[in-house]
Amino acid sequence: MPVYNFKKMAPVPSASDFVDIVLTRTQRKTPTVVHPGYKITRIRSFYMRKIKFTQQTISDRLTAMLADFPRLSDIHPFYSDLCNTLYDRDHYKLALGQINTAKQLVDAVARDMIRMVKYGDSLYRCKCLKRAALGRMCTILKRQKASLSYLEEVRKHMSRLPALDPNTRTLLMCGLPNVGKSSFMNKITRANVDVQPYAFTTKSLFVGHTDYKYLRWQVIDTPGILDHSLEQRNTIEMQAITALAHLTCSVLYFMDISEQCGYTIEQQCNLFRSIQPLFANKQLVVVINKIDAQPWETLEADRKKLIEDLLEESGPNTTMLKMSNVSEEGVSQVKNEACEKLLAARVDSRVSGNKVDSVMNRLQVVYPTARDGVTRDAFIPESVKKEKELGAKKPKKSRKGYAPTVDDSDDEADDTPPESDDEMIGDDGVSTRKKTARELMWENGGPGVWAPDYREQYDLADPEWRFDAIPQILDGKNIADYVDPDIDDRLRLLEEEEDQLAAEYDAANMQRMDDDDSLDEMEKAQVSEIRDRVKIARAHKERPGGRNRPALPREIRGRVKDMHDSDAKLKASAIEKRMDKYGVDTGAMLERGRKRERDDPREIRRRKRDAEMEDAAPATNEDEEMEDGRGKSKGAIKRARKEREQSVKRASSQARSHSRPREPSQMGLKDDDMAKVAKKVEKQGQFRWHGGAGEGDHTKAVHLVKWMNTGKKRNGTHYCR
Amino acid sequence: MATRVAFENTGEIGVFAALTNGYCLTGINRSENFYSVFEAELSAHIPVIHATVAGCRFVGRTTVGNRRGLLVPNTTTDQELAHLRNSLPDSVVVQRVEERLSALGNIVCCNDHVALVHPDIDRETEDVISDVLGVEVFRQIVGGQALVGSYCKFSNQGGMVHPRTTVEDIEELSSLLQVPLVAGTVNRGSDVLGGGLIVNDWASFVGLDTTSTEISVIENIFRLSGAGGGSGGQLGAQGQQSNIVTNMRSSLIDQLS
Repeated sequence: MPVYNFKKMAPVPSASDFVDIVLTRTQRKTPTVVHPGYKITRIRSFYMRKIKFTQQTISDRLTAMLADFPRLSDIHPFYSDLCNTLYDRDHYKLALGQINTAKQLVDAVARDMIRMVKYGDSLYRCKCLKRAALGRMCTILKRQKASLSYLEEVRKHMSRLPALDPNTRTLLMCGLPNVGKSSFMNKITRANVDVQPYAFTTKSLFVGHTDYKYLRWQVIDTPGILDHSLEQRNTIEMQAITALAHLTCSVLYFMDISEQCGYTIEQQCNLFRSIQPLFANKQLVVVINKIDAQPWETLEADRKKLIEDLLEESGPNTTMLKMSNVSEEGVSQVKNEACEKLLAARVDSRVSGNKVDSVMNRLQVVYPTARDGVTRDAFIPESVKKEKELGAKKPKKSRKGYAPTVDDSDDEADDTPPESDDEMIGDDGVSTRKKTARELMWENGGPGVWAPDYREQYDLADPEWRFDAIPQILDGKNIADYVDPDIDDRLRLLEEEEDQLAAEYDAANMQRMDDDDSLDEMEKAQVSEIRDRVKIARAHKERPGGRNRPALPREIRGRVKDMHDSDAKLKASAIEKRMDKYGVDTGAMLERGRKRERDDPREIRRRKRDAEMEDAAPATNEDEEMEDGRGKSKGAIKRARKEREQSVKRASSQARSHSRPREPSQMGLKDDDMAKVAKKVEKQGQFRWHGGAGEGDHTKAVHLVKWMNTGKKRNGTHYCR
Repeated sequence: MATRVAFENTGEIGVFAALTNGYCLTGINRSENFYSVFEAELSAHIPVIHATVAGCRFVGRTTVGNRRGLLVPNTTTDQELAHLRNSLPDSVVVQRVEERLSALGNIVCCNDHVALVHPDIDRETEDVISDVLGVEVFRQIVGGQALVGSYCKFSNQGGMVHPRTTVEDIEELSSLLQVPLVAGTVNRGSDVLGGGLIVNDWASFVGLDTTSTEISVIENIFRLSGAGGGSGGQLGAQGQQSNIVTNMRSSLIDQLS
């Protein structure tokens, strides 16, 4: 179904504007510099381009114009006839035809002149030809002055035509001038048509919309029609006739029985008869209007008879209804009846065709057949039921039409004011309705600024728990993984066990307390001092800035005497001093250590060697002293002594090859395997990232690439340049 | 009464909210406009909750539930699950479902008694649905569409199916679901009923584009208009549904064909 929208037509420029537009455009969009010294082909193409461009511009614009204006033979007959009435079909067609001719003329002129430019032998001649061509084209356009201005007027008028859909559900009002058509329109729609107490207030068609039975209805108000022959009708009346003739609609024929409009009932009946052929195939409602001024019951019998005869003539499908726009009596009946009649007719036409079958599933409700004895009830909370009962007692709001009629507004008068509608009023008259999140949002800064705390609505056993902070991750563990629905029971069991254990512990503690009593004061002081010192030692060890390297266990480190180890000063004097502080007897301790030392084979060897050295030493010393007087320097003496000692040592050593001493780091290790293990453990302890070139530090140094820098380097020989 | 609602200028409100007889979930939004529509209508009777699933706000499509339970997809985070469990009353069981088709709202459509499910879902999921929601489960398609949650919608009192469903199919579905059914549209002719329509036994919300005819059909088939609700006699309720056949027939014919 085409939708008629004449509002999108482009404005039509006047002839002189058209010429200006075309020439300016040519000037702007084509090259402007040419010299007599150019090759003649270049000069010719320069001017040919100008001519061609001008012709193209004119042709494009005229074509667009022809396409914009609807062709009267192609549009809905209603619009076609309406255009005929308003703009005169012949005139319209002629204007468009002339535009079309002008277009062809312009094309022909351009063709001819371009052909001549091809033979132009100088710049001057080509230029003159171009001037002639543009001049002729502009003259052609100027001759279309009348057509263009006419088309502009038509365009302006068409764009103001009401958006009327010829195929939809339509109510159409007609009748003599001043019988109350427009007033009725204002009653049932929001069109707000001008209503005045003189004839031909309405000079064109007006469209409004109203609702009935969930559908949207188009209501058309037409100008009044006078009772004379078709030829005598003026443009205003013809619009009404056109609408009557071409729209499938429900027609409301308005009659003013009070004759305030200036026409007698007889005249109104005559008009009805003369336009009756137009009512064929339409749903007709004869509306007896203005019954406030002249009630139907008090109407004179012969006049009544006129109208009743008229109805009889018009056939059984015609309904007569009485109404008044002033008292609003019967307004909605008229609307409902007209809509109902048209709807019934439209439904009939569809049902008789096959169109309904495709939507049959949407027209019937399928009720279930019970498949078992189970009842499947609805679940509606009691509070909802209660509210519905309360709501049912409240007066309902009117939903009829747009503009409230008197009947409807009577209903609304009983309504409570709209603000208090949804609010529950407390006993003290203060509104107890909770603020919605939206209201709170606007009070607190609007969207994006304020958001509700979603925890407020938590439905927990104790409302105070709602805002408890619960971490997602605790000690690297997802808390949710450890959530246990039975946690309360388990916790209770654990707590019971804990209580029991605590009781047992207390009992045991009591016993220990008794044991402690066996110590005397002195011993207690010693114990406490030892404990304190242990504490201090621990703290000392753990203090920052201390040794920051892994402590190797002694078995790995080897059983050396560790004189360098500050923790183990094993000198007898040190031990004695320390132990004396605690009041411990060191005699046995030192004796044990000495014995161990004495029995150590290395120690035995050393002692033996020392003894030998002692034997050799007196002799050398004597020599030295003898020589001393002979003025040897101190350093030389020292060196000589050392050499001697060395030679003694060497002499005293066992007769075996000079094996290389073990590295100090491997000292005390049993064999190579153990050394390896020690090395590994040490490395593990010492591993540290030292920084340096990893993958991320990868750089590519700039260097000369041979293929880029050798060979020919002239312009155009190298793709890089 | 059906209320027209839009979520950020779209009428597909069923994507962003889920409604049952026991609770209502809405997606989190910068503005509270959407939430407050539900809050104003429902919060006096049932909890109306902000929720997300897997950080996404289209909770209507990812979750499915009735007044006994709520199923959420396996993408739901632990925090979201905890939020739902905290917000919903204890009578509602919240359960995470390990289902490959994770948009549960699209593949399951249920009321408090029966559920239609996508033909391809896992057997385990089917068991979970029947256990948690306490419903009979039927694998069915509606109007040639396997996404039953998107293309049909029913409460305990009535239901609406995809407009292309044939009358025979509607009869079969109706006998399975044991509720009166009709084919229809929302949002000015949209067949995605799950997207445009949110309904339970006493309230309904439709997309902003929904026409008055569509609203009337919805109110009638779901027995929403008029006082008394579904608790009234069966006869009166049937009368309301037969409005579609009697009072609305001519309007429907004129508009549809």
